Amino acid sequence: MFGEQQRFMLFLIAPAALLMLLFQVLPIVIGANASFRDWALYNPKKIWVGFSHYYAVLSDPAFLYVVLPNTFLFMILSVAGALVAGLALALLLNRPFRGQKLVQTILLVPLMVAPVVAAIMIRWMFNDQFGIVNTVLEAIGLEGQPWLVQRWSAFGIILLTDIWLWTPWFTLLLLAGLQSLPKEPFEAAAIDGTTTWRVFRFLTLPMLRPVIVVCVVIRAIDAFRTFDIVWTLTGGGPGRSTELFSLYAYVHAFLNLDLGRGSAAAIIGGLIILVIGVVLYRLVDRIAKA
Amino acid sequence: MPIVSRPDFLPGLPKWSRKTLFALALFGICFAFAFPVLWLILTSLRPESGVYYVHRGTEFTLASFAEVLTDDRIVSAFLNSALISTLATIFSLLVTVSSGYMLSRFTGPASRIWFGTIYVFRCIPYISWVLPLYFVTQSWGLYDTYTGLLLPHVAVHICFFSWLMKGFFDGIDPSMEYAAMIDGCTRWGAFIRVAIPSALPAISALAVLCWLFTWNEFLFALILTGNRVPMITVVMAQFVTEMGLRWNLMAATAVMALVPAFLVALFGQKYVIRGLRI
Repeated sequence: MFGEQQRFMLFLIAPAALLMLLFQVLPIVIGANASFRDWALYNPKKIWVGFSHYYAVLSDPAFLYVVLPNTFLFMILSVAGALVAGLALALLLNRPFRGQKLVQTILLVPLMVAPVVAAIMIRWMFNDQFGIVNTVLEAIGLEGQPWLVQRWSAFGIILLTDIWLWTPWFTLLLLAGLQSLPKEPFEAAAIDGTTTWRVFRFLTLPMLRPVIVVCVVIRAIDAFRTFDIVWTLTGGGPGRSTELFSLYAYVHAFLNLDLGRGSAAAIIGGLIILVIGVVLYRLVDRIAKA
Repeated sequence: MPIVSRPDFLPGLPKWSRKTLFALALFGICFAFAFPVLWLILTSLRPESGVYYVHRGTEFTLASFAEVLTDDRIVSAFLNSALISTLATIFSLLVTVSSGYMLSRFTGPASRIWFGTIYVFRCIPYISWVLPLYFVTQSWGLYDTYTGLLLPHVAVHICFFSWLMKGFFDGIDPSMEYAAMIDGCTRWGAFIRVAIPSALPAISALAVLCWLFTWNEFLFALILTGNRVPMITVVMAQFVTEMGLRWNLMAATAVMALVPAFLVALFGQKYVIRGLRI
């Protein structure tokens, strides 16, 4: 039935496809099924209830006015912050100087730190009684803040932790991109006496755009599903004010023990990010072809 | 000698102040990225009474580490995390290197469909499939077992790593493989004996990344394991809520969780940087 080449291709992807089928496709189908049923973990009746879980999620003020805005705000700010910081660092490191290896190694540190560990460190630093941040603030005469029990300061700290974790990732990839750019346009610009800003704006940035776009797309999609740092830093609190989408689905499924509603939330979030992902992919494709 | 040097840092300032500012900027950046980790290490070395005033006093002790190491749950969590990370790396590479090779060397509908599938599954948030996976593993009797945690970990890396692997293979000229096939090698022979050896730096980079990702992963372990297979990230997260006041023990555990990751990354740094550059 298949030619020799088709058989070879099939065998190359068969193990991966099988694993994905069993551990991703199948669970998603089961989750979709559960999202239409009355499936409380303590009393799984499994009666068909139609779209009522979807209705419950989409009419939940906590989901509409806290979780969704939080998730999108987090996605945009964390990617933008890490991109700007990462690009600045990549430009700074893209010149020879003494100790470059050392600086590069130090910059790699956050890449090795587990998000949970990062969250623990930051939580300890911003501890309201004994944290170093409040100690320093009080030493210079300012008032210490209960950072993690106010909505926006807690959100800011989550954001800061995420940017700390992912800036090096941007730096590394952008630096690799910078170093593979052709030298000639820059030499021409230097001969013409172009200012540094114009070189950056009209040469570096456009030539680096494909790398930037790929980084942003990968990171944006990952930022949407952030779970671990929020869970460890605030648990979604104070109240539920820093909950992101993944936390919302988890809380409904495993703390409120309502698998139906948790699955519905997980499917809604999955659909949202799929739409975003396809749009972003189009964008990458267009930029890659341009 | 190149015709022109790289653009200067802050042109327009005198040379000595440029140099000082550059050095200060570098120092500030290194400080910002290293400080939280240094602070954690310092906290872990303080005795219980000194932990609330880390900045004061000069007593240092390894007692927190000793106490953490007597906790069976933490020790077994370390062993489990190390075992799962290592196995997940081996299986991930077996699965994704071939899948990435297929994406790179073949064009046509099959390749496009596979690429589309991978991209779609890369976008889907973990929670959307790990949440129901809890039931799947329970009904298969895999919940809270090594297999039940290992296979999802392998599955999750398929998408991203196949994509990276495709990029690596794209950078390797396929003419050697064609030459091998003309000389009588089978397709498998060309793949295993020619393509894989030339992709070894990239594969090493992938191995390092895979090990780190698995060691650092939290959500899977939280949902798919209970008490029989504790993983280090979950144990630490429980620690922070249940024993939130014993920061010296918390810090000691976190530092110990950092050490293997640091060793792997330090050893693998050159592969990762070289691999990403292809």
